[in-house]
Amino acid sequence: MRKLAEKILSMDRRAIYLLMASAALLPFVTGPLGLPSRVSPEVKAVYDRIESLPEGSPFLISMDFDPASKPELYPMAEALVRHAFRKNLRVIGMNLWVTGSGMAEKILSDVAEEYGKKYGRDYVYLGWAPGATNVILGLGQDIYKTYPRDYYGNETSGMPVLEGVRTLKDIPFMVDLAAGDPGIETWVVYGKAKSMAGGCTAVIAPGMYAFLNSGQLVGLIGGMRGAAEYEALLKEMGKATVGMDIQSTTHVLILGLILLSNFAFFATRRRR
Amino acid sequence: MSPELLGAWVAAGLTLAIFSFLYKDNPFFKFGEHLYIGISVGYSITLLVFNFMIPKWWTPLFREGRMSLLVPTALGLLIWTRFFPRFSWLSRWAFAFVVGFGAGIAIPRTISNFIFRQVESTAVPLVSRGQQGVSFGWGDFSNFLIAFGVLSVLTYFFFSVEHKGPIRPLARAGVLFLMVSFGASFGYTVMARVSLLFGRMYDLVEYSSRGYGYATLVLLGLMVAVFLAQALSKKREGG
Amino acid sequence: MFLRQYVPMAIAFVMGVVFAVQYYVPHPASEELLTTVNDWLIVVSGFSMVLGLASLMGSHWAKVRRGVPGWGYSLVVFLGILGTLAVGIASKGKMFAGEELTLTALGWVYDNMLVPLQGTVFSLLAFFMASATFRTFRARNLEAGLLLTAAFLVMLGHVPLGEYIWDKVLGFLPPKADQVMGWIMNVPNMAAKRGILLGVGLGMIATSLKIIFGIERAYMGEGG
Repeated sequence: MRKLAEKILSMDRRAIYLLMASAALLPFVTGPLGLPSRVSPEVKAVYDRIESLPEGSPFLISMDFDPASKPELYPMAEALVRHAFRKNLRVIGMNLWVTGSGMAEKILSDVAEEYGKKYGRDYVYLGWAPGATNVILGLGQDIYKTYPRDYYGNETSGMPVLEGVRTLKDIPFMVDLAAGDPGIETWVVYGKAKSMAGGCTAVIAPGMYAFLNSGQLVGLIGGMRGAAEYEALLKEMGKATVGMDIQSTTHVLILGLILLSNFAFFATRRRR
Repeated sequence: MSPELLGAWVAAGLTLAIFSFLYKDNPFFKFGEHLYIGISVGYSITLLVFNFMIPKWWTPLFREGRMSLLVPTALGLLIWTRFFPRFSWLSRWAFAFVVGFGAGIAIPRTISNFIFRQVESTAVPLVSRGQQGVSFGWGDFSNFLIAFGVLSVLTYFFFSVEHKGPIRPLARAGVLFLMVSFGASFGYTVMARVSLLFGRMYDLVEYSSRGYGYATLVLLGLMVAVFLAQALSKKREGG
Repeated sequence: MFLRQYVPMAIAFVMGVVFAVQYYVPHPASEELLTTVNDWLIVVSGFSMVLGLASLMGSHWAKVRRGVPGWGYSLVVFLGILGTLAVGIASKGKMFAGEELTLTALGWVYDNMLVPLQGTVFSLLAFFMASATFRTFRARNLEAGLLLTAAFLVMLGHVPLGEYIWDKVLGFLPPKADQVMGWIMNVPNMAAKRGILLGVGLGMIATSLKIIFGIERAYMGEGG
């Protein structure tokens, strides 16, 4: 038993990499597991808030992430923009991370095309600007001074989509999708949004619960699980829902590895 | 070859090049890693010029005559004196301006949003009052645990007082709360890392299909062949 | 000494005090001051980004010039920079063009090179994490055991298969896996994170005050 335990503990790391790769590929081979995710109250809160907005309300979505966080936050952004367009809200898109600009533009234009939305009237993409804290502060003072032109070089003042919007306080609800800093904490500290929710990678989600509890965030969509829950609320099967199968197999593998390594550890320890 | 097909082969190749690091550090990985740095920088410069420098600085200052932009331009040029060691001390003025502003705006906003709001939501009633009088339910227990947890964690991080006597059990309780929090963070981190893996796996599986010319499989086969050849030649040299 | 040290300290002091007090002054002039200076600093941030990018390019160019081992890879960095710049200029900084929103050359590089490269570099962490978990995650004492238990319960409640396993094995218990996970996140985890947040907040205020009063001068670089 001790020899077996020692062999287990000295397993080559490449064997573990192979096990991980196999667990990740398994759902592609077997097909969908068909197990649903239960919707959590914090994700439902975001959904309900958007549902409560009257038609034509401005809605700000700040997509503060880069390609590294695409699998978690891209489906989240798509689901939120879809929901906003379904509710006929005026969508104002922007981002604070330079390498995320391409994805932010793609999300808005792809989903807008799906819903037949017109640029300038139904949605606008303000783009990226340097100095995140200053950008957020600037939006709290005067959107047109911070973004005199949008991503495509069009003048923002006079745009129908921004009618009645001068500062963040004129926006009834905003969501920040964040992969780190600058992100949700920066918006909480420096922004003056009337009501705000957060969507974030699973790495930073545990730290956001303090803002959720204090009411500074209305709701929180955490990681791929949160994105899958939001897709379930929209009754859609997006990439996040598909991704939960891989999450299932790899999580169970890692739990198994933890149990195995602890069993082997205690088996070798006892004999000492 | 269509741009889409070429793109699939390039994406699959670069993905496999980076993944090859799992076997061992090798030239494929180093090439991919350095190319990533280069493209990132190139993309950042492109966006800086077209999204910012031209529409928000050059055009307003030199075409529209917004003279107020001369002040930040001067500050920016002072920052650029760092490239010239003899004059680099001038950059301190610009940095002092930026850092001083940052420090100033941070204080009241941090007090308001980090301190007051967080303390306010911790100091909640620990019992419930109803028609049948005072009760202590599960929600009240959770509120008590939150208040106790916050206090014990703050006590643990307060190193100005030695953790002896009555402080010691409180600080120890703080450690236990931190351990639960780190465990929860680990659980979430697993999901985050696996999400990144899913993204790449999804694309690799898609690019292994006939429509993309079996890109993933061909490139994986080539890479494995190269590693095998290397291992064999090393064995021959050693033998 | 006066120009190199005392003038920057004075600038930091004035800026810090003015904008700390500005928050409490609702007068339109105060708001206009914040707006104006803030807009200036967006422009300054752009200039400082150039500094960072140039430093990176400089360090790789130094490797190429000196011919240090691995200088070829630094050439690859320049190939990436110049190639992307050329493509970016040709595409006028746009990812999509025309009314039909066709992908430009820059968009192609972004979608087929930057996104896969960055995504894959970070996805390696999944493998390293699994390996590190196997090697180091041991319930050696109470603290480690608590960490392990919390991680186990959160991971189980986080995925549909975990919820299914919980329902099959522990379905007789009133709370479901996701409810246990939710309680852990909203109560003990939140309490600890709030404690850390309060500490961070107090630290930020202390550091800001130190900068304003000239005690902290790291921003001045060498000799500060």
